[in-house]
Amino acid sequence: MNAPLAVEALDLERTYASGHTTVAALAGVTLAIQRGEFVAVMGPSGSGKSTLLNVVAGLERPTGGTVRVDGEDLARLDEEALARHRSRRVGMVFQAFNLLPRLHVVENVALPLAFAGVSVSERLRRARAILERLGMTARAEHRTNQLSGGELQRAAVARALIGDPAILLADEPTGNLDSANGAALIALFEELHAQSQTVLLVTHDAQIAAHAERIIRMRDGRVVDV
Amino acid sequence: MSLGNYGRARLRSALTTAGVAIGTALVVLLIALATGAEENVRRSIFSIGDLRLVTVQPFQPGANGLSAVPRTITDDTVAKLKVVAHVDGVYRQFDAPLGMVVEGGDDATIRPQGIEPGAPVDRGDLLAGRHLEAGDRAVAVIPGNIARLVAPNAGAAIGRTVTMRVGGAVKLGSTRIGGSGTPRDYGVKIVGVFDEQASQTSFRIPLEDALLAGAENRGLTADAIRQTTGYSGLAVEADDSTNVADIVRAVQELGFSSFSLKQVVEQIDQGFGVFKGILAGIGGVALLVAAIGIANTMVMSVLERTREIGIMKAVGASPRDIRALFLAEAAYVGVFGGILGLALGLAGGQIIDRIIRQLNPRTNPAAIFVVGPDLALGALALALGIALLAGFLPARRAMRMSALSALRYE
Ligand SMILES: Nc1ncnc2c1ncn2[C@@H]1O[C@H](COP(=O)(O)OP(=O)(O)OP(=O)(O)O)[C@@H](O)[C@H]1O
Ligand SMILES: [Mg+2]
Repeated sequence: MNAPLAVEALDLERTYASGHTTVAALAGVTLAIQRGEFVAVMGPSGSGKSTLLNVVAGLERPTGGTVRVDGEDLARLDEEALARHRSRRVGMVFQAFNLLPRLHVVENVALPLAFAGVSVSERLRRARAILERLGMTARAEHRTNQLSGGELQRAAVARALIGDPAILLADEPTGNLDSANGAALIALFEELHAQSQTVLLVTHDAQIAAHAERIIRMRDGRVVDV
Repeated sequence: MSLGNYGRARLRSALTTAGVAIGTALVVLLIALATGAEENVRRSIFSIGDLRLVTVQPFQPGANGLSAVPRTITDDTVAKLKVVAHVDGVYRQFDAPLGMVVEGGDDATIRPQGIEPGAPVDRGDLLAGRHLEAGDRAVAVIPGNIARLVAPNAGAAIGRTVTMRVGGAVKLGSTRIGGSGTPRDYGVKIVGVFDEQASQTSFRIPLEDALLAGAENRGLTADAIRQTTGYSGLAVEADDSTNVADIVRAVQELGFSSFSLKQVVEQIDQGFGVFKGILAGIGGVALLVAAIGIANTMVMSVLERTREIGIMKAVGASPRDIRALFLAEAAYVGVFGGILGLALGLAGGQIIDRIIRQLNPRTNPAAIFVVGPDLALGALALALGIALLAGFLPARRAMRMSALSALRYE
């Protein structure tokens, strides 16, 4: 039997009601992402890229169709199980970093494990190990306001990786970075991919998307060509 | 998992904790004051007498004071009471008319009290000699003050024979009252002297002697007195104070009025229950205000930390984790405020106690504020409970927040 696909979406729909009209952010998305793949999602603003990522991340529930992540049908998970999905099965990197300013970098990285019942010493040990892997050991005990944008996003990647996720999700991770830091971040993704990490990356930037193995293009909530 | 507090929020938490502490301290102080007062009253009641005793009075139940309807206590009554469950003993008492000890002069006024051997009044209070015994006749156990009127001291009075005049004119304090019936003298031998603190006039003599004196005073026979006048009262002793209520009921069913310290104590307890309730209510209002403070702080905290909640949810915090986080924060305020308030209440009680004693050195030596372990634990539990209750709605709000909209929150 084959190992499950990293992501498998079938006729995925997500509509939003806004006033009298409804907006279909996802209007029937079907796609498959193999384990170990590095895929970029591109498309104009409002085409549904973030919505797709949020559904895979378990931050948003689809209104139609099915989605499986690492073999798990997300529609079958209750709120508690969906929370565990977010802390263990996927790792999410945001454009806005979303680190907690009052925690040290190492504590931020360890945060997902706090909700997975891992002891403090064990989660700090694992957080330090990941920070070392990403060359961030020198920044482990710093506060987030002492870090540059590039370093913040590296810390966010470390946090996304701490649960050893089946898939790394990133929504415009270079959006708040200058081109040098953006390039360094993409190099990091390529390196992770080389270590067989599955990566799903949303971007506007064709140059960045060019680093991926495959590009999925979206328009009006649909995949246009694969 | 608590992530601690920061900045402005820390000051707010400190103020909220102070509110809880003050409310708890007030509850502790007020209840401690009521408990102290209650213990004082109880202690003075216990020093009066035995809680196992029920006194049967020669009137009908409900009757009191001027409207009393007399009812005769006879040997039949005694026989009926002796077989009531939990009755350990029934002791008859007959009070002969007022009189005096002739050798003691004008001040030696006495109330000759005819009692049975072993009667509860004639126990454990001797200064010299012995108590009344079975078969005694023409003897008396007398108060120390009377003994000192006829002998140099209590010990020297033992064995003396004095003249007990029953029914003559006597001096009571500074007023003279005329005698009743025909005055008559009896020679009695002093066999015991008791500490007069309980009574300065009770002259304990054998029941038969008292009945005879009462009868002769009115030109009757002792038997006639037994049947028509009846006894002055009965002391019914229960096997345990918890059974006093049963005996009181039996006495009432026989148609007699009764008195028991135990029932007085129960009424006092009830009164203090209400008193404590009112005081606790006043303290409770302070705690309620504190609870509103907690709720307010928590609502602010949830709002302020909306983004943080979003981040935590995004990286895997479940709704339960978030609720636990905020409830833990409320519990922290409750426990910390409670402990602080308890300490504040204890210290405050000590200080007020000391001030009162300094202002009035003759204050009763017993503690004014009494904090037992149940009050201490109760106060802590109350503070924690109120904090959790106040934190519940804000925590639920945090729990139900959508992760994505929380992440977008500025
Ligand atoms: N919570 C929401 N309520 C209502 N409409 C929404 C909501 N989230 C997204 N939408 C709508 O769904 C559509 C897709 O949005 P989405 O954020 O997925 O686009 P996107 O491709 O990520 O765009 P961008 O490149 O600008 O980030 C848009 O029209 C958007 O307005
Ligand atoms: Mg987007």
